[in-house]
Amino acid sequence: MTSATICNDAPSITPGHTPALEEMGAFLAEYSSWIFSSGSTCIRLEKNVRRIAAVFGMSVELSIFPRHIHLTVSSDGGRHVFTSIAAILDRPVSFAINASLSRLSWDVADHKVGFSQACAEFRRIIATSGTDKWVVLLLVSLANASFCRLFGGDSVAMAVVFLSTMAGYLVKQMLSEHHVDFRLTVVICSFISSVLAAADGLFGLGSTPALSIGTSVLYLVPGIPYLNSFCDMLDRHYICAFGRLMNALVITACLSVGLCFGMLMMDVGMF
Amino acid sequence: MELIADFLQDASFSAIAAIGFSAISNPPRQAYLYCAIIAAAGHSCRFLLMDIPGLGMHIVPATLLASLLIGVLAVLLSPRGRVPAETFLFPSLLPMIPGIYAYKAFGGLVMCLYSRGEDAFNHYFYLFSYNGLTCFFILLAMAVGATAPIFFMKKISFQATRREPSPER
Repeated sequence: MTSATICNDAPSITPGHTPALEEMGAFLAEYSSWIFSSGSTCIRLEKNVRRIAAVFGMSVELSIFPRHIHLTVSSDGGRHVFTSIAAILDRPVSFAINASLSRLSWDVADHKVGFSQACAEFRRIIATSGTDKWVVLLLVSLANASFCRLFGGDSVAMAVVFLSTMAGYLVKQMLSEHHVDFRLTVVICSFISSVLAAADGLFGLGSTPALSIGTSVLYLVPGIPYLNSFCDMLDRHYICAFGRLMNALVITACLSVGLCFGMLMMDVGMF
Repeated sequence: MELIADFLQDASFSAIAAIGFSAISNPPRQAYLYCAIIAAAGHSCRFLLMDIPGLGMHIVPATLLASLLIGVLAVLLSPRGRVPAETFLFPSLLPMIPGIYAYKAFGGLVMCLYSRGEDAFNHYFYLFSYNGLTCFFILLAMAVGATAPIFFMKKISFQATRREPSPER
């Protein structure tokens, strides 16, 4: 497995410099790992990586597995070959990083930046922080309450969903900060949200209690893995598509377990 | 008049839901507006297809057409936001997720296991299979409808993040 830290030496390389095969391989391995874990589909990853390599007269072949990316860079018609395996990072999806890394590949392809500048820009992109966690908490809670309304929930149900989502999502953020296993996090958050949402029916607050419980856990639905899985399937990346699908199914199962425990604990009937 | 009010309410709540859920996946700031517009257009489209008197389309084909609209809009607007089309897809699709069907299917399954007697089991199995199948086909329609335009319009989809469009290399 590559440590992929070649780019740290970038300042010694002149802007117009053609990187060595090893430098390019290490850079592309790290680039692939980051863009994939940021929510990129396989087709976008392949296109971006090939676009960068082609500028320097190199070609790339990729094998994308659920946890690793196997990358071979070659030059001179395949006479020189460098192979690298990068582990896919276990980090939250970030479309801001995904978009910036895609833009970087075009900047390299359009000769707007050289290899050393691309390395520096890559370091800058991956160091960017995400949206403020309190803003996200508020937006997600509002979104889930709106969701409840779309399904036909009354204003009481919306308020209950808002609070139960806020509590569940806050716990999710705290557990993520402590690097707790994501599947366990989903079970716990789903449990907390469903228990709190059960208050609607338990205290006879509103007229749509079932909608409160059903909607309260939807912020945990792994939609991006599901969609990316389908995109990969359309592009015939079946192994990766299956891996993503299994991951999404496991998270959905964890969500269901937490919901089920919550409802059993609050003695809420399903129908 | 009531239909128009419902339509506007549907569009507004879809937009809020899309903005909130897009925040989870940490998109670039300029993407929020597009997510809201696309989600409102998609969900309102499904609302109209299902609720306009005389049309009354079933939820599955209505979802397929609405998702197709979301996919096409996501691809067409992605160069304006300079972000991959996928950034807009999930938040825009989320308001159409069949959460209540999934919830009822899951409930039916649990009640099947707890039921006593054939009649009760058959009833809950019916609820499980009806809601489960509807949920599955809605999800399939969403996935097919939203992702297919990325592949139909590859040139736009994969050049969206380019700074200054120039002749293809």
